[in-house]
Amino acid sequence: MYWLCVAAAVVILSLLALVVVYLVSIGWRSMNWAFFSQDPQPYGSDGYPGGMRNGLIGTMMLIALASVVGIPIGLLCGVYLSEYSAGSLIAAPVRFVADVLAGVPSIVVGILGYQLLVVPLGHFNGYAGALALAFIMIPIVARTTEEMLRLVPQSYREASIGLGATKARTVVSVVIPAATGSLITGVMLAIARVAGETAPLLFTALGSRLLTLNPKYPFPSLTKEVYDYATGPYAEQKREAWAGILVLIILIFVLNLMVRFSVRRWQGAK
Amino acid sequence: MSTAELEYASHAPAVTGGPRPTIRRQARRFNWLPAPLTILATCSGAFVLLMMASLLAVLFYSAIPSIRTFGFAFLIRSEWRPNELEQIKRNAQGNIIKDEDGEPVTETIPPAFGALPVVYGTIVSSGIAMLFAVPLSIGAALFLVRISPRPLVNPVSFLIEFLAAIPSIAYGIWGVFVLAPFLQARVEPPLNHLLASVSWLRWASWNSTTGRDMLCGGLILAIMILPIITAVSRDVLRAVPRAHIEATLALGATWWQSTWEMLRYGRSGLFGALMLGLARASGETMAVAMVIGNINEIHPSVLAPAQTMSSLLANEFAEASTELHRAALLEVALILLVMSLIFNIVARWLVVGRGQPAAGRR
Repeated sequence: MYWLCVAAAVVILSLLALVVVYLVSIGWRSMNWAFFSQDPQPYGSDGYPGGMRNGLIGTMMLIALASVVGIPIGLLCGVYLSEYSAGSLIAAPVRFVADVLAGVPSIVVGILGYQLLVVPLGHFNGYAGALALAFIMIPIVARTTEEMLRLVPQSYREASIGLGATKARTVVSVVIPAATGSLITGVMLAIARVAGETAPLLFTALGSRLLTLNPKYPFPSLTKEVYDYATGPYAEQKREAWAGILVLIILIFVLNLMVRFSVRRWQGAK
Repeated sequence: MSTAELEYASHAPAVTGGPRPTIRRQARRFNWLPAPLTILATCSGAFVLLMMASLLAVLFYSAIPSIRTFGFAFLIRSEWRPNELEQIKRNAQGNIIKDEDGEPVTETIPPAFGALPVVYGTIVSSGIAMLFAVPLSIGAALFLVRISPRPLVNPVSFLIEFLAAIPSIAYGIWGVFVLAPFLQARVEPPLNHLLASVSWLRWASWNSTTGRDMLCGGLILAIMILPIITAVSRDVLRAVPRAHIEATLALGATWWQSTWEMLRYGRSGLFGALMLGLARASGETMAVAMVIGNINEIHPSVLAPAQTMSSLLANEFAEASTELHRAALLEVALILLVMSLIFNIVARWLVVGRGQPAAGRR
């Protein structure tokens, strides 16, 4: 039994190695400068297959738009759950719902975005995609914010009261600055999660083969491009899909590493 | 007095017990911050409740045409046909009915939808995933808590949690280009031969092996839910009181006997971890849509292609043109949402509600 447990851990790690090594090696071989500088070119044209520049810029814009909506609401909800929850009737339901919402399948969120934001406007648009991503972001940011704010020592709050501050002033000027580093790591975790999402964008932003900066119309994203290329028939495009996945994984890995190191530094400084 | 509600000095007189200033009122800056912040924070909390309510309400409202057409039979019908069917009318004896010109009379059968194939696909693929993932995850969690030397715990945990950070489309691509061809070339032909040659297992074999079938979908899902089950199980087992395990050792237990006692103590939390994994597996879309074969039929063999609820939505939703088709897809989405909500609620109740809050911080 003892060695079975060791074997289980070894199997999991080797599966991880298998997945990552394949993704990195094939993606590395397929990556070239054209990937970052060109938009997708149609089959048979000069620059075929082109690159995924529109997807990279599209994903960055979608994340930016989603963060503009999702991060403030998530932060405020976390502040509510940690600071204003005593004696409040809705705090326990809000905490429960935030936990449950974080586990909802992302394709259902995409369908909600379709019904609420695409149908009234009459066409797929990037705003719907960004708001669907924000829907996924809000519970994650709220939960991590609440936990990080709860870790701030109560003595900070008491010292602030002793100096005559109101509760709001305490929260804004004492508690949140004390937890800034960990709040940022929580936000980075949410961004890392949202950057890799495809399903919510399938019927909201739909995806596009053109570089566009106008979210009022179908909007490209890296994950949708990769999905289209990987399920398509052309071999060069499948190679591009590998490169796109490598870029995505590097981005997520870097974000996760930053989170790990800042959490360790923050915990060490305590 | 609870520590959560402290009396703030700004609302009390400047000197306790002293006289209230009457002649010369001290100039006091108006506190403009509390009102907006309280309102914004409370509204954000209420907004989260609104998000959940709108999710359920919008899906239910949009699925009403399909609910009205099919009723509860939607859950047990197997036919999924978005188009009308022209069928030649036959009379009671089975002969073709002809009209005045001698031409066969055709009747149009309206579209029919039924969710049973996709519910079956979701349940079986999640079941295969749990079958492979649960022993590996619990074993790895035990390794991290009981066996591993101290310096190895953090790196190994980080690596396992990095598996969770990989986006599902990366797993889909790996599955399509690496796992499915491997299964098709090396694993499924011998397996199919074996199943076909044993007489009472012939129902489990399939007539073709493409590598993109229920088995591949289940295996990819297993790899995807490994990290979440491992991480939550590790937290649950870490929260088992050390004194409890030391007591078993004092009574002369072997390594496995005391470990079994540790598992028994944390069984509700472990079951919650399994539920979380199941919730993730049933809701997973992209990886499954790429490797499961996308055939909306029920077959007993795991070597047959299948369709799950989420892969059905991913494949058909953007192209559904009739209102009934869309409403049927939305009803499938509603079923998926309710299933995932039930798993998540049960998981949360088991991990957090049973007095193991440290393990629920995930």
